[in-house]
Amino acid sequence: MPNGNRDQKKYKLVEDEGIIPMKEKYIHILSITGVVCGFVFITFLYWAEPRSLAEVTSKGQVAIGTYSIDKAEFDRGVTAFRAEDFVGARAAFDRADPEKRDAATQFYVAYSFYRQGWGRVSSDDKLFAQGVAAVDRVIAIDPNYRSADAALVMRTPTEIKTELDEGLKLTPSDLNPLKLIKERK
Amino acid sequence: MQDESAIDITGDGLEPTETETRLAARRRPRPSVQQTALRTYLILPAVFLAVTLLGGLRFGAADNAFIFLKPALICLVFASAMLVLFIRGGLVDIAGWFSDEFTTVQNVANAGVLLTLFAATTQVFNSLIPERGLPFWVIGFCFLWTIWNNLFLDLDTKKLLRSIGGLFALAFFAKYLVLANLTATGDAGWLQRIFEDPAKETFTWLLDLPRYSPATGYLQFLAIALFLLGLYLTPRRSKK
Repeated sequence: MPNGNRDQKKYKLVEDEGIIPMKEKYIHILSITGVVCGFVFITFLYWAEPRSLAEVTSKGQVAIGTYSIDKAEFDRGVTAFRAEDFVGARAAFDRADPEKRDAATQFYVAYSFYRQGWGRVSSDDKLFAQGVAAVDRVIAIDPNYRSADAALVMRTPTEIKTELDEGLKLTPSDLNPLKLIKERK
Repeated sequence: MQDESAIDITGDGLEPTETETRLAARRRPRPSVQQTALRTYLILPAVFLAVTLLGGLRFGAADNAFIFLKPALICLVFASAMLVLFIRGGLVDIAGWFSDEFTTVQNVANAGVLLTLFAATTQVFNSLIPERGLPFWVIGFCFLWTIWNNLFLDLDTKKLLRSIGGLFALAFFAKYLVLANLTATGDAGWLQRIFEDPAKETFTWLLDLPRYSPATGYLQFLAIALFLLGLYLTPRRSKK
């Protein structure tokens, strides 16, 4: 048998048996990396339970520590809050902080619930309850939070929580006629 | 020299017809080793990971929001039993996936592929078993009965795949066609729903059926089809 044919056959057999270790090794490494990344991503999704594609992004940012609020939306919310458009303000704050992880934004949200729900005779319990939920978030994020907004009467979450809790309770002091001259904070 | 002629693939010393047949066989496209490796180590895990992702995903009835459902413990038990079934049925040959002859990287990669198979199987059960209530117990029991029976049968790979395909098709029909059509949907108040469709509302309440968007059924159909495709692509051994 000529040598050329033998070499050709040998090469053919080597190719058929798959002795191309470098490439296969890379494929194995790629496979391991892909499987690990895939499991990490799926575990993250089932742990974070995002409800939309937009939430996948924001929850992903929270997970990797790059989450930050949308400053423009936050400023828009503050402007609406000062103009007494509390519903509009909360919509802007929700857009600014979709993950509800910023103490300042959640403080304004709680304050907006207080101001919208406050009444000289009686308060709106539904709005006050939502306010309590928001202020609890602020306390959970930063218990020592203090607002830098000089225009606000209440500057700490504890003050807002006290006001909201009092508004929700039915006490003999609710019958005090002097309550009618009480001002909204 | 004798041995070499026995494996002569160039056609030397053969009858013309035999040579032609061998040459024709050589010309037939065969998957190269690299193609097989790509299929086993990249396409297969990707398919199974897609099933793992989609198997627990539902869409809310009111707003089509994503709902990710973690698998119940029983899904893990069923998936483990199914893996035993895959091995007994010859779909997966453990000795062909883990060996001292393989490199560590290959053994780890093989473990990764089989792990994705296990995760996908778990999520398929998560997809097919109703979430709660009486249907959960009834369909769960049917699965248990079938898998338990299959564990003691002498199944070959083809019969096993057919059996799994049939089992999953029936479960899909029960959950996403029968039960889904008995579920009242819509975001109207419960009183309005009772007046509009009392039968559906009664079944939803009695069977404790969750309300999902119709898109859920389409998505789960895709997940199950992908899983069956993945099983079809799964080689018995990682290396020929």
